[in-house]
Amino acid sequence: MNFSKDCNGMDVKEPDKTLLSSIDFSPEKYVRDLSQHCVGGPELRRLRKKIQNLSEETNNSLKKNVYQNYMQFIDSAKELSHLESEMYQLSHLLSEQKSLLTSLCTTSILADDSMIIRRSENKDENVKEQNQINHEKLASILEKVEGCKELLEVSARTYLYEGPLAELDPLENTVIKNVQAYLFSDGLMIATRNGRGLMKYVFETMYELGSLAVVNVKDLGNIKYAFKILIFPDTRIFKCDSETTKKEWLEKFDHAKKTKLTQDQQKRESVPEKSPSRSISIDSQSLNQFEELEDTVTAHPEWFLEAPEELDVCIAQRHFDDALALLQRVVEYCAHAQQDHVLIEVQRKVDVRHNNLTQVLMKELEISTGKSMQGGLGASRRAVRLLIMLGHSNQACDLFLKLCTYLLKIQYDRTKKEGSITVYVKNLSGIIFTNICHMTEEFLKNFPNSSACCSAYLVWVSAQLSYFSNHFIKRVFKSPISLSNLAECIDLVRWHCQKLCTYGVDLCYQVEGALRTYITKALKDFNDKFVESIKFKALDDNWNPTNLKSKNLLSKCLNEYAEMGLILNSYITGDVWLQITANNMEFSKTFLILLNNCLKLETTELLYAINDTISNVFEAQIKQHELILSEGTKADQKTFVIKNAEFLLTTLMVLCQRKYIEKLGFPCEKLKQIQDKYSSLITVISPTTRDIKTKYSSDQYL
Amino acid sequence: MAKKATVQPALHKVIMVGSGGVGKSALTLQFMYDEFVEDYEPTKADSYRKKILLDGEDVQIDILDTAGQEDYAAIRDNYFRSGEGFLCIFSITEDESFQATQEFREQILRVKNDENIPFLLVGNKSDLEDRRKVTFQEASDRAKQWGVPYVETSAKTREHVDKVFYDLMREIRARKIEEKTVNNGRGKDKNKKKKLKCTIL
Repeated sequence: MNFSKDCNGMDVKEPDKTLLSSIDFSPEKYVRDLSQHCVGGPELRRLRKKIQNLSEETNNSLKKNVYQNYMQFIDSAKELSHLESEMYQLSHLLSEQKSLLTSLCTTSILADDSMIIRRSENKDENVKEQNQINHEKLASILEKVEGCKELLEVSARTYLYEGPLAELDPLENTVIKNVQAYLFSDGLMIATRNGRGLMKYVFETMYELGSLAVVNVKDLGNIKYAFKILIFPDTRIFKCDSETTKKEWLEKFDHAKKTKLTQDQQKRESVPEKSPSRSISIDSQSLNQFEELEDTVTAHPEWFLEAPEELDVCIAQRHFDDALALLQRVVEYCAHAQQDHVLIEVQRKVDVRHNNLTQVLMKELEISTGKSMQGGLGASRRAVRLLIMLGHSNQACDLFLKLCTYLLKIQYDRTKKEGSITVYVKNLSGIIFTNICHMTEEFLKNFPNSSACCSAYLVWVSAQLSYFSNHFIKRVFKSPISLSNLAECIDLVRWHCQKLCTYGVDLCYQVEGALRTYITKALKDFNDKFVESIKFKALDDNWNPTNLKSKNLLSKCLNEYAEMGLILNSYITGDVWLQITANNMEFSKTFLILLNNCLKLETTELLYAINDTISNVFEAQIKQHELILSEGTKADQKTFVIKNAEFLLTTLMVLCQRKYIEKLGFPCEKLKQIQDKYSSLITVISPTTRDIKTKYSSDQYL
Repeated sequence: MAKKATVQPALHKVIMVGSGGVGKSALTLQFMYDEFVEDYEPTKADSYRKKILLDGEDVQIDILDTAGQEDYAAIRDNYFRSGEGFLCIFSITEDESFQATQEFREQILRVKNDENIPFLLVGNKSDLEDRRKVTFQEASDRAKQWGVPYVETSAKTREHVDKVFYDLMREIRARKIEEKTVNNGRGKDKNKKKKLKCTIL
């Protein structure tokens, strides 16, 4: 600092972190300043070196930071994926709620939203309710009576009364025919019984209430309960069943007329400019209306008018594609066509067919006991696709998933439970996961663009996996099983879970979470059993070298251990002797198997339990050496025991650590601690053994 | 038609018109059942039928007792259209009801489009002489002007009740016979029409 200040006389700062990381630092300007004020090469070189050092320093700290935060990064990524699936589940719940509410709304008798918005005034509600009831009534009349499309021509038309009547001959007073009469707020409709269909009437005529003269027939010979209708040139006599129905009819007529009158007056008052045309002649006006009506009737193409019937045929013949195409055509047509009563009528009928089609399709997807599931999911594809196109993707998804659940359940039942558990688990997990993968493919094909369905699917997979986990736990953990088999089974399941991830369904953590406690417990059990058997075997141990009886057998043994990674050549004495106890020979073998299995099971969450297990077992074995040494044995035997301890603590331990590092990338701390703890066993010994130790340990590292 | 006539006696359709409360229903009921109903209840539109002997001939009378007040002109027209003869009634105790007969007459003529439609002007409540507001002269002048008979009746005392109905029926019958002869005159046309229809068929 001093140097540069003295040298330049100007204030060019030495490069340091704070300067370089300041916000207003400009490299070009800084370099220019430096080169202006620095004199000579050495000075510049010094500064360059300093900057280089700084850069290296920064690099290192950056690396450190990255490393420190790496675990955190992984953890948060995991946490994020958990959160994601939770959000999916929430979204699924919400969409379920939504569809529930909408279905409630549609099934309710009350119109649209009157159910939800209870706050609206009672009066309004009553009106609405009446409207709805009226609408339903009109619709039912439309269904019953053929050819009364004009019924919906007047939007304000309300249904008032209906009943069967017998029409009489005006001269002879004999019954001509039976009719069904409908009284509306603006007219009387007469429909004659249709001989062909049951409960079907044919529209005969509609009399406008404003010109309908009703006469109470008080006396007509023997004929009772009759009334007359006078509409020029018609005079018609109708007979009721009883005095009360007749009275009812006359009252209804009267009431309807009065209501209409007040309404007309109100209209006249509110639209004064219309009144002159009204006063000209009601007859001509109604004629005009009729003409208008005729015009609009002819405006619609024939296919459109026949669409409801055509749809019935299509649905009955199971030509669902055709039905859907026709439905769409109708919708398109309705969107552009002029709105009139015919259109509304056809639309309403088509709506009914739409619902029918949906019902039929949903039935297709429903699971029934008698139904063959041979076709599997492929058979459901058409129904699902059509339902989606009909706008019922939620229901389709629901039914699709139910079908999947059913198919999976069949697989569970079909998979044979005979044979070993590993074979069963292998079969079952293979079948189940392959099926789930297949279903995922099918699902993605069927529901490519629906987030609600997607979340439903994820929730479904999650449920299926937890079902599978439970099944797995019951089969695997609740029965005696070797650690190798367990490790194999779990490894298999994990592999399958990984495969699911390729479809974007990452639920490994869920399965892992379900199994973790059971694995930990199993490890603890194996640990306890192993330690127990070590103690038991130690009692029988007479601490003698192993006699392999023949050269042949010795070399066979050496090969066997070499394959496991243990080179025992240095322990050979004589032709057939190994300076290791038979007990330790066996221990090293089983311990390596344990280690392999544990490493197979390894996950970050299980690491603690695994470390515990292997270190506990290892310590149990080495402890036997310590015990025998502390008992004060003969010098001869002592050397032998120490040699054995040395075998465990170096040869075996080094191999174990190597395997551990191979798998995890870092040595096992706990094993190291044991090695340190018991190193005194082999350091207190004769120089020969120490030589051997260093020799072998260095060997191992080669 | 001929066959029917043998089975059923000729039917003459009579319509009672007039303002509310003038006694249309009372006259009808007196004629039908020989009884006088004191209580007043506005009529909507009632019809009655009775077999009677008219000058030795069995006939049926169909009486349409209309409402004094009908809000819809179109409905009133339909009542009028169905009638073959009219009893236009007013109360001699109420000038307004007499004035209203003018309007009824015009309406009936408009609807029936026939100046000679069987029609009687009837001044009812003749028993209430002390409360008379419409003089006999006044009423008969109007009847004369229309070219119709004027009769005063009392539904209470049954004075002239049968007379107005029988007189009207005679007019209707006469009118029908007259029409028949006219039709017969035109009978050839009708036959021609029928023949035409046959050839089409």
